[in-house]
This record gives sequence, C-alpha cells and structure tokens, in this order.
Amino acid sequence: MSTAVEPDRPHSDAAPPVEVFWGVDCGSAEIKVVAIDREGRLLTTRKYRTLFPLVEHVHRSLAGHADELSAIIDSDRAALPPDGRQPSLRPGHKVFATGYGRHHIGFVQGQLTEIKAHYLGVQHQLGLQQDYTIIDIGGQDAKVIRATPGRVEKFAINRKCAAGTGAYIEELAHRLEVPMGELPRLAAAHDKDLTLNSYCTVFSGQEVIKLLMQGERVENLIHAMYRSVVKRVLEMTPIDTDTLVFSGGVMSHHSILMPLFAERFDAVRTLLAPNAQFCGALGAAIHGLNEESDNGLPNHQ
Amino acid sequence: MNVSSMDVGTVDVKQVMRNYFGDLDAAAKDPARKVAWCTSVGPAEILRAMGFAVYFPENHGALLGATRVSSDTIPLANAQGYSPEICSYLTSDIGACLKGVTPLTKAYGLDGVPRPDVLVYCTNQCKDVMHWFAWYARQWQVPLLGIHPPNHLPEVLPEHVADVASQFRRLITQLEAITGTPLDPAALRLAVARSREATDLWETVLNTARARPAPLSFFDSTILMGPIVVLRGTQTATDYYRALLAELQTKVTAGHAAVPGERLRIYWEGMPVWGRLRHLSDLFANNRAAVVASTYCNSWIFSDFDATRPLESMAQAYLKIFINRDDAYKEAYIERLAGEFGIDGVIYHAARTCPNNSNSSYNLPQRLAAKGIPGIVVDGDLCDLRCFSDEQSTTLIEAFLETL
Repeated sequence: MSTAVEPDRPHSDAAPPVEVFWGVDCGSAEIKVVAIDREGRLLTTRKYRTLFPLVEHVHRSLAGHADELSAIIDSDRAALPPDGRQPSLRPGHKVFATGYGRHHIGFVQGQLTEIKAHYLGVQHQLGLQQDYTIIDIGGQDAKVIRATPGRVEKFAINRKCAAGTGAYIEELAHRLEVPMGELPRLAAAHDKDLTLNSYCTVFSGQEVIKLLMQGERVENLIHAMYRSVVKRVLEMTPIDTDTLVFSGGVMSHHSILMPLFAERFDAVRTLLAPNAQFCGALGAAIHGLNEESDNGLPNHQ
Repeated sequence: MNVSSMDVGTVDVKQVMRNYFGDLDAAAKDPARKVAWCTSVGPAEILRAMGFAVYFPENHGALLGATRVSSDTIPLANAQGYSPEICSYLTSDIGACLKGVTPLTKAYGLDGVPRPDVLVYCTNQCKDVMHWFAWYARQWQVPLLGIHPPNHLPEVLPEHVADVASQFRRLITQLEAITGTPLDPAALRLAVARSREATDLWETVLNTARARPAPLSFFDSTILMGPIVVLRGTQTATDYYRALLAELQTKVTAGHAAVPGERLRIYWEGMPVWGRLRHLSDLFANNRAAVVASTYCNSWIFSDFDATRPLESMAQAYLKIFINRDDAYKEAYIERLAGEFGIDGVIYHAARTCPNNSNSSYNLPQRLAAKGIPGIVVDGDLCDLRCFSDEQSTTLIEAFLETL
C-alpha cells in the first residue's frame, strides 16, 4: 500500500480537485481509517484503539506517523489546533465518517451510517452482480444487511443485548481467562457440541462458570460460545440469498465463525470481504467519492 | 419544553393548559367542587356532565417523562414492588407521589397534583391503569370505579356496545352517590356534542399534514394534543382546535414546511419517547424526514360520538379505539393512513413498558413491508430512558432513512 507523503501546497482561492478520499470508521473498540484515490484504489489502511477525546484520536489517525500519507497539513499534524478550531486538511483531501462516533467529528465533510458504509465497502471490493446478505459483527452490535448490486434493501441490528457481538466474545474470554487471540485455536480443538442457552451476556457468563464447575472442557465452551454468536445473529432476520458476505473486525479475527454460519445453510456461498475490518471505513471513503461523482466523476459502488 | 416548530402566536396551547390546570387546582381547594381522575380514553364526558373537574394522570405521566423527572421517580416505584417491566407512566407517577414532586409546580404553579374525590378508569387501553388507580385508592382511601370493556376486538358488535353502555349506567349511579345530584341528561348530551366537535376538529388538524410539505409534524402534535386529551367535552377544546385549524390551513396555503426541505414522509407507530422528543425531532429534521402521521395522536379521534344517543355512542367510540382492536384491524388502519399521508416508511416504537401500545411483536412490520410499506423497529420507552439508547436508535433511524 502506498504511503507517500504529499508536499504541503499553498492555499488558493480555487478549490483543488479532490485526490484523496478518507473514510473513518469510529467504532466502539477501534478507529479504522482508509484512504482511496479518485479511481477508488486503496491507498492506506490504519487502525487505532478508540480512546477519548475521540476527535483528538481521529485527528491523530488521519495525520498518521512520519512519512505516512496524511490528511492533515503539517502545521496542524502534531495536535488539534487550540481553542476548538478545526484542523487544516490538505488541499485535495476530504474526510467522511461512519460508526457510532460519526456525529462527533466536527471537521469531516460528511457522514453515513455503518449499514450503508459496510454495504459500499463490500460492493466496491467484490462488485457482486446478484442479491446478497452481509453479516457484520462489530464490537457492540451485529448487523445483517440484505443488499442488491445497487442498494441496501433492508437491514437488522441486534436489539437490547450485546449477546452475539464482539463485547460478548470479550466477556466470555475474560470469564474463561483465555486471551482473545487463542479463542479460535482452542475452539477448533472441541470434542463436543454444547449449547449456551441464554441470550443475555451476563447470564451466559454464569452458564459458562456453572459448566466449568461441572468439569466441562474450555475448548467445548469456546466452541459453544461461537455457536451462540451464530444463533443470535440468525435470529435477527431470515437470510434468503444464495450469497453471504462477512465483514467487520470480529469476523476477520474469528474466522471459525464462517464455517459455523455456512453449516446452517445448504448451497449458500460464503465470502469473507477483503479488508473485512476496514469495510466500513472504505465505504465512508467511497461515499465521499460518490458525493464528488455527483459533480461529474464516475460513480463508484 | 418546546419541540414544536409551530408558531403559536394566536393559538397558545400553553395558555390553554395553564388555564385548565389553574381551574383544576381551584377545584381541588374548593370544598364545593369535586375532582375526578380519569384515564385518557375513559368516559370524561360523563364526569364533565356531572360537574367534576377532571384530571388525567396519563397526561401527568407524559409530563414526568418529557421533563425527565421520571428518571428519578421510576426507581422509587420499582423499589415498592412495581416492576420495571410495567407501564412507566404508572411507575413515574407513583414514584412522583412517593417523592412528593410534580412538574406541575414549575409549569403551572400547582403545589401538587389535585386530590381526587373519585378515581375512574377504563381498561379499553390496558390493565395497568386499573393497578395504577388502585394504588391511589388504597393510599388516599378514595372510591375506585372501573369500566371493563371487551378487549382486542376484530369488530365492535352491538352486544359489546350494550355491555359497555350498561357499565356506564352503573358508573353514573355510583357517581351520583358521590355528587349527591342526579346526572342531567341534557348536560351529558352537551358534553358529548362538544367532544364530537373537538375531536372532528382535531382530526382535521392532523389531516393538514397530508399536504406536501406538511405544516406540522408528529412532534408538534404531541404538544398540540394536550387539549383533546384533558379538555374533551368543553367549549375550550373546540375553540382552541378551530383556531389552530385556521392557522394550519393558512400555513398549508403558504407552503409552510414543518421540516424544511421535506424529502421523506414517515409514520410513527406507538408511544412517543417523551424524554427524547427534541432529540428525535432534530434527528428526523436533519435527515429532511417529516413524521407526518402517527397512531398515537390519532388515538383521540372519536368519530362515533353522537349527542342523540350519548351512552351508546360513547361506548362505541371508546371500544373502537386502535389499541383495543385486533391485529388485522391495526394492519388495515396503518395501511390506509400510509396511503392517505403518502408515507415512505414506518418507525415502530417498541416501548419496553407498554406492550399494549407497541405493535411490532406479532409480525405486523413484516406484513406491511410485504405490502410495500417498509418499517424499522426502534426499542425504547415512553418514560423510562433506561430502555432507550440514543446511539442505537440514531443509527437505526438514519440507516432506515438511507434505504428509503
């Protein structure tokens, strides 16, 4: 991926053509950043922990490190300007936001929901010609998006409880005292299909403790946890397409979920979106590119 | 609180409500007058005709929610054994009584809610009102009278009407024992006639939102509906809505938009989220979506009132309300309004503590979507903000509007 630094350019009255579109996905756990050029080609991806004040950390993620592509003019690169002033974006750069923090970044040129962003990110990369369903599991929510090649048709987001989301996996990993990165490997070593019944994260935790007390293997409990995630997501809305695309950070880190989803369907093609964790940020950038396209540039999906 | 985009120069709803509460307060302090508490779709016309000053605790519940006093008072009722899962009007209001607070003090200068001489409920909307009023009956040793209509009706049949009219007659006898004066039939006919006139005007007011752009939104209407809830059966309500209608018709002619740049037209199904009206009003307006129709505001349209047969027509009107009907009726109702108001999509508010006024749990959104009326379910509550997430609801609503 290119990380070339652009030279600072003098300000001029005529706005320069936009050359770099930045997408920022302000998630509950991580800030994901993507830059694309006006042809929709990916220039860079970055990921930071979500910390607060959010706007400062988004600014830092857009500035990047030394010698990296930056959306921010060098004089503002080190930190946000004082007194609440907006940072200076490089001429020819525009920033678009998605994710739960999207309304809290004052200096972006536009924002869109994660639903539309993930759809745009997936469709841009895969160019699917048939109807399909995206399953995006994030830190604090899970989404099922029914899409056509041209639009989001309908969607569902998990209601009320975090069960079935990244927060659920984190909580159970904590209860089991297993590092997150170890979970997929341990689940693969299961020798029994167990079922966790509750759809409440806290009650699931209690169920896990009870099973541990009864001498159940940790591997089987982790596998049951993944199966529980699949069940929770599939309860949200019927899946009626032949193609299932996975996006989001949880899917990219817990690839064992893909076959668990796939085994619930006959003859359904399952795909992991390229740059799965960055689909939302990429979609935000594509949204920006499309906004520009309304001024004459080609329309990217 | 002001979420209304209405310019209320000539038609001041706040003044109408201020006068109403002032009179209630005076009645409560006057030994010669009597105060009745009544549920919001209860037989107010009978009470008015018998000279009671009528107070509606659900209006108080909405005020507790809108001022967010509920957040402090609900837990007090919960601790007394009133579950967090039951009506949060009930828990807000009982908690407020336990704490000795009311937003009526700040809004209208009342020391407290007006003490009742009698409590009259009607379970056409839910059973929680019965439990709610029963608490006050025990607390203050006040007579408790109830109307128990048949519920969830596919259609309202003559035997249903006869049943409820008969219950009204028994209620009148019980009330006469409290007032010591027989009901004047002419006074009842007058109250029903006034209610009919006011409710017809209210319907016409709401129907002005069929215009494109709509001159008022659901969020305006939740404020403007005050008089049709608390002043049914009075000339004041009729005068107010006649003036309001004239103002709205002028706005329609002038092309005034409640939501500038109106792009989408939305139906709100279910209760308002009283503590987040401003937030939601801004959210829709920022997306150039006008919420132009709702089940909730339409619930005070009683087209069956007929002064020539007051009790039977009241029975018919209070039986036929949306909340007391079966799902097939509700589906046809929303479908009809979606057509009449040019609706692009429906927001179904699943109010945690109000299952009776939440209609997304039995596949209704999916059935209407199959008929080309898309919708999204938003979890929340009328008063209990512990059940409502700003972030999740914002994403849901914005993403839904993006799909339309």
